[in-house]
Amino acid sequence: MTSVVGAARALEMGEAERRGLQAARIRGAVIALLGVAGLWAARGAFNVAATFSFWLLEQGGAAWSITTTVGMLWLVAGSVAIVVGGLQAGVGARFPWRQSLFVLAPLYVAAILGALLDGKVANMTGVFAGSLELAVPITLGALAGILSERSGMLNIAIEGKFLVGACAGAIAASITDSAVAGVLVAVLCGMAVGYMLAWLGIRHQVDQIIAGVVINIGAIGITNFVFLRVLAKNTWLNTPPTIEKIKIPVLSGIPVVGPLLFSGTPYLYFTLAVVVFLSYMLFRTRWGLRLRASGEKPSAAATVGIDVIRIRYGAMLLAGALAGLAGSYLSLSSAGSFQMGMSAGRGFIALAAVIFGAWNPLGAFGAALMFGFSDAIQSLMSILGVDVPPQLLNSVPYIVTIVVVAGLVGRVRGPAAAGQPYTQG
Amino acid sequence: MRLELKEITKRFPGVLANDRISISVDRGEVLGLLGENGAGKTTLMNILSGIYRPDSGEILIGGTVRNFHDPHQAIDAGIGMVHQHFQLVPVFDVVESVALGAETVTGWLGTFGRAAARRRVVELSEQHGLDVDPDAKIEDLPVGVRQRVEILKALYRKSDILVLDEPSAVLTPAETLDLFKIIRGLTAGGTSVIFITHKLGEVLEVADRITVLRRGTVAGTVKPADTSREELATLMVGRDVELLVSKGAAKPAGVVLSVKDVLVMDDRLQMAVKGVSLEVRAGEIVAVAGVHGNGQTELVEAIVGLRTIDSGEIVIAGENVVHASPRRVADLGVAHIPEDRMRDGLIAGMTVEENYILDSYHRAPHSSHGWLHAREVAAAAEQGVRDFHIQTPSIGTIASSLSGGNQQKVVVAREFSRPVKLVVAAQPTRGLDVGSIEYIHTRLVEQRDAGAAILIVSTELDEVLAVADRIAVMFDGRIAGILEGASATREAVGILMGGGV
Repeated sequence: MTSVVGAARALEMGEAERRGLQAARIRGAVIALLGVAGLWAARGAFNVAATFSFWLLEQGGAAWSITTTVGMLWLVAGSVAIVVGGLQAGVGARFPWRQSLFVLAPLYVAAILGALLDGKVANMTGVFAGSLELAVPITLGALAGILSERSGMLNIAIEGKFLVGACAGAIAASITDSAVAGVLVAVLCGMAVGYMLAWLGIRHQVDQIIAGVVINIGAIGITNFVFLRVLAKNTWLNTPPTIEKIKIPVLSGIPVVGPLLFSGTPYLYFTLAVVVFLSYMLFRTRWGLRLRASGEKPSAAATVGIDVIRIRYGAMLLAGALAGLAGSYLSLSSAGSFQMGMSAGRGFIALAAVIFGAWNPLGAFGAALMFGFSDAIQSLMSILGVDVPPQLLNSVPYIVTIVVVAGLVGRVRGPAAAGQPYTQG
Repeated sequence: MRLELKEITKRFPGVLANDRISISVDRGEVLGLLGENGAGKTTLMNILSGIYRPDSGEILIGGTVRNFHDPHQAIDAGIGMVHQHFQLVPVFDVVESVALGAETVTGWLGTFGRAAARRRVVELSEQHGLDVDPDAKIEDLPVGVRQRVEILKALYRKSDILVLDEPSAVLTPAETLDLFKIIRGLTAGGTSVIFITHKLGEVLEVADRITVLRRGTVAGTVKPADTSREELATLMVGRDVELLVSKGAAKPAGVVLSVKDVLVMDDRLQMAVKGVSLEVRAGEIVAVAGVHGNGQTELVEAIVGLRTIDSGEIVIAGENVVHASPRRVADLGVAHIPEDRMRDGLIAGMTVEENYILDSYHRAPHSSHGWLHAREVAAAAEQGVRDFHIQTPSIGTIASSLSGGNQQKVVVAREFSRPVKLVVAAQPTRGLDVGSIEYIHTRLVEQRDAGAAILIVSTELDEVLAVADRIAVMFDGRIAGILEGASATREAVGILMGGGV
């Protein structure tokens, strides 16, 4: 009897280990193959120069650049990949391969970029600063999504809040001739939409996805109507004062880093601050503990006297405020006026960033940067006249998101109770 | 602190859940609150913990009247609930789970004082011998430890009245003994404990006083020394109950179900069934006993075709069913009474009639060429309702509006409406009243005597001992031992349920 049990146990442990090792070997082989492909690409590319330049102090001023060859970039990327692949196959399941991707990915991005540029000089300050600015609305939207979902509410109405915020912000700023007033009105409108979603989902227990879809479609309809019937005839209502970039004294004087990080819009600085602030609030404070409990297991929160419904309303209002703010960025900072459908799906990209970032503010910011980067690269390519179909570049972040969500890079798990209506006993 | 509930009445639409119930518990005393499902225990405790408000009656703590409008007030009054379904956040660690709702904070942002909370958790855990790792994640802890975390939660809030709702339902006999030790330690320190259960043996062992509830009223209050299992059982159900099912000796014939070296993974891809071999013959009842979560669910799902097995062999009536669909398995003559009738047994929002033909809607006489034959379907359903004494206003009644016992009868009626060679019944009497339990057991014995092979999976020792001809005890995905039903004792099965010696 004991020997039978013993044999079964050995079998099952061996099974788990064998599967782990097999998976590690397959991963190792794939990574190493990627490396071989890199070395293959390096052949004959050593005569093509790859030059990346950075503005030293300000846009259009003196530049500092690094020059190497495309072949060299491929050689480095390929060699590192072969080493990583070999280690993975050799060491087995214990090898921290996820972390190693953070080294591999940038190397390959640089090599591919060099190959596409084919000898042209690329200014990376523009690309990086552009990525940051493009990441602003996506990050704010993702933070709104994180707040809602961590409290237990699915929030797919971020797109609608962007549109409403953008439209209301532009009109309010035009009327009052004050950009700040525009921002405030956009935030309030975002909160109103957030409150409506919460009211439908909590008070009336409407399916949160359907409520979100309804709000998105409603927002498109209303803002289109306002644009076509009101703003088109009264253009003075859609010429808001805009929010311009601000150079931070001293810090913006740091070579290379200054023009990159410290010469952005106030939105950028605010977004960075909110990312840090919300990370702290979610994971280090009583408010965060209770919010997360409401989204993971509301009944557990309720039995210790926490008012789950109040927490969810609060989270939805805050989420609405952040999404409304992001909307005002679109019309008051990046475009300078409201346009029909100007959110262009960014509210949904924000949802992808929520998942990619594992419901974590810092992670979501990283994901938003990736989306921003691919956008910025695309505009760099078109400026330099490199012939790459923009659709191809645009689709890269989504493919990466699918891979991440499908669980190849690790199991990301959202709040357990998100989307489930909660009835207080 | 002395707690008294006086004349508590609570009415729900159509049900008088609590009818002038009065109970009391003294400082340092253990009150056993005994009652069947539906006797009103849970409603009473929800009133005590501030989740429900009573229609009339009052709660006295230390002689003063208290009214609870929400759970917070009950907690502040010193009442700590340990719910039957643990109220813990799976992704939190122990410190966070314990402190949730009673956090100490610093600074204007309300920073959670984790270090201080951790110190208190460690201190309380040591003081009461709870042995809980403060930094472990809840989802990684075994159920026995999770329960101790729940107790820690109450102690952390300085509760001096602790309410344990069916605390042993998920525990092994050994873990239950540990729990009793912890309870005695707590009462020695002056805590009052209300121990809610439907298990007679446990109240007799742990309680200082026992109050029995029956259909929303107090049936009696007794001292363990002055009573017996039989008296308690009678108080609980209101008449003399037969703890044994009347049945003749089994006449086992050929093997109908043969399970050989089966490995099955659960939904989280953990090995749940780790090499089980089992045979069930025509004309015998084999019960798989064990604490919930030791692989029984996965084993049953594998047998009826709902889960693919990793390796091994399952043969039913001579046919290898490893890759067979659930419908193919049913067509072989397998009746399946699933463990969760509202999830897997019935479609809650459909009618009795529709539920009755779920297994046969696709063939004559109930349908042809994709068209249902309303008259034949209705006739069959009417017949089933009559044969199985299902109490329903009509066959057009929505299944979820029936009582639990009648829902189960609908499932059994459907499954027994085809020729049966093998019955796989998982927790066939869970949550049912005594009358329905007897009825289901009688029907199972009838099927046995008609020559079917019966496999029952049950976590209730009483049920296993009452109906089984042979008892296979599962522990940690394996059969820990097989006993003859006639000679098996409660103790012998209990030891195997905990993994043997």
